[in-house]
Amino acid sequence: MSALALRQTAALAHRSVTVTLRQPDVWFPGIFFPLVLMAIFSASFGEAPGRIAGFPQVNGFLDFALAGAVLQGAISPATGAAGAFANDLEGGFLDRLVASPASRVAVLGGRLAGAAAIAVAQTAVFVAVALVFGARAEGGAEGLLALVTTAALVTVAVGGLGIVLALRTGSAEAVQGTFPLYFALIFFSSAFFPRETMHGWFRAVADANPISHLVEGMRAGIIGGAEGGSAGTALAIAAGLAALGLAGSALALRGRLRRGS
Amino acid sequence: MPGAIEAHGLVREFKGGIRAVDGVDLTVAPGEIYGFLGPNGAGKTTMVRILATLLRPTRGRALVAGHDVVAEAAAVRRSIGLALQEAALDRYMTGRELLRLQGVLHGLSGAAGRTRAAELLDRVGLAEAADRQVRTYSGGMRRRLDLAMALVHAPIVLFLDEPTTGLDPISRATIWDEVRRLNTDAGTTVFLTTQYLEEADQLAARVGIIDGGRLVAEGTPRELKARVGDPTLTIVVGDPAEAPAAAALLAAFGPPVPARSGAAGAVAARLRAGAAAVADVVRALDEAGIAVAGLDLKEPSLDDVFIAATGRRLREDDADEPGAEPLAVDAPARP
Repeated sequence: MSALALRQTAALAHRSVTVTLRQPDVWFPGIFFPLVLMAIFSASFGEAPGRIAGFPQVNGFLDFALAGAVLQGAISPATGAAGAFANDLEGGFLDRLVASPASRVAVLGGRLAGAAAIAVAQTAVFVAVALVFGARAEGGAEGLLALVTTAALVTVAVGGLGIVLALRTGSAEAVQGTFPLYFALIFFSSAFFPRETMHGWFRAVADANPISHLVEGMRAGIIGGAEGGSAGTALAIAAGLAALGLAGSALALRGRLRRGS
Repeated sequence: MPGAIEAHGLVREFKGGIRAVDGVDLTVAPGEIYGFLGPNGAGKTTMVRILATLLRPTRGRALVAGHDVVAEAAAVRRSIGLALQEAALDRYMTGRELLRLQGVLHGLSGAAGRTRAAELLDRVGLAEAADRQVRTYSGGMRRRLDLAMALVHAPIVLFLDEPTTGLDPISRATIWDEVRRLNTDAGTTVFLTTQYLEEADQLAARVGIIDGGRLVAEGTPRELKARVGDPTLTIVVGDPAEAPAAAALLAAFGPPVPARSGAAGAVAARLRAGAAAVADVVRALDEAGIAVAGLDLKEPSLDDVFIAATGRRLREDDADEPGAEPLAVDAPARP
């Protein structure tokens, strides 16, 4: 990547962050709702660890709930970025970028890097709040770093997928419409409760859901090996998905530019 | 000298075999303002999108600033400035931020980008609004910012797609002044699409009329109008009783036509020798002792040109057409 392409990417990432921060209705829900959910679950199931058979040995439910909040939070900047990309497409700003010497990598990379930066900031807020309310980072600094990195990669993956959809449909509404889908995926996983305490079909779904393995690995970054998840696995899954998202969006952009509309 | 813009047999087909651009050949000379005039859906925007590398031609070839728009798209992008219809801006960014971003995209250094942004904001009269978000701008301000963004890198060729559609007369005049100045001072080649006759007439050195994806007429506004016909001279004589004599005299200079003014004593004819004959007509009337109360010379308008080329009026709704006014009398100055 040339020095100019890097500068272009940085400038477009900066734009993406600045514009997001200027719209509280865009960034606020992504921070607020995961925190609320984390608070409710921790209050409701505060006594679960140690009392419910199969619940991993953790310091408190908050330690357990943090990864789910981080994962849930990582979806917002991603769909936000894809929605903004669709708006650029509809409003003609993308034409302006494409008709300038901006590299295609910068056009996509800037948007996704901005979203990833927001995901990192959000994750830092979630971790800070959890630590203030008594969570203990058993996984240490390394574990937290893995958690933050995984969150950023998840944002890139989901954002890339959203951009594919934006380029295919040209509609911001279509992109925003996928938001609940990700929530369903997260709720039918072990994001908020351990698989050991689930039963029947729900357990089967959670077992099959790759999100379970992702979130358990993210959780390992906080609670250590108590649940059996691995931070490395989570990183690898997220990196793979991010690569898919990047490649998919690059192909979709190329296709769109060839078709011309 | 090669053209700043050259199109050879340019065709663009869309799904369903619709040809938005259907075999256009044109050349725009360096430093020229070329007006691409046509109604909505004529293919103007498709043409600009092809020339600006946003759309590949189905057939044919186009060069902009000497570079092929398909094979050398990157070189074309470095040479052109583009202001598309409906100013495409980010509502949540400020004017200055947008200009700085555009500067980075074009590889300007931080310091150069800052200076250039300030200079352009000043030039398009947005210095005071520079640090306000675009969502607080009026339509005219957005258009001016859009134009400034297209100029960040001092492009060789500037594409303006309907730059003043929907603007109030003052904003329109500001854009026109800026385009003229660019052309005069920097020698920028301008390719301008418009559905306003007056805009093409005022700005363009040459006009191409596009209809149904085809170039149906091309030339300087004067040539195009001349091709349609001679200017009409209307004489209003002081004493209506002298009207027949005036009409007989006028008939010597060209075929009589019904006077549009309807005033008593008004007679009209198409001047075969053009505007140059006005002085002779006046002299002849004077020699015959016929007192003239009024005189009006009307050039054929580009609207007449459009009708002659396509059989239709350019716009059905002429209400907001700034070009509805006839051209000013343009009689030659004689010593």
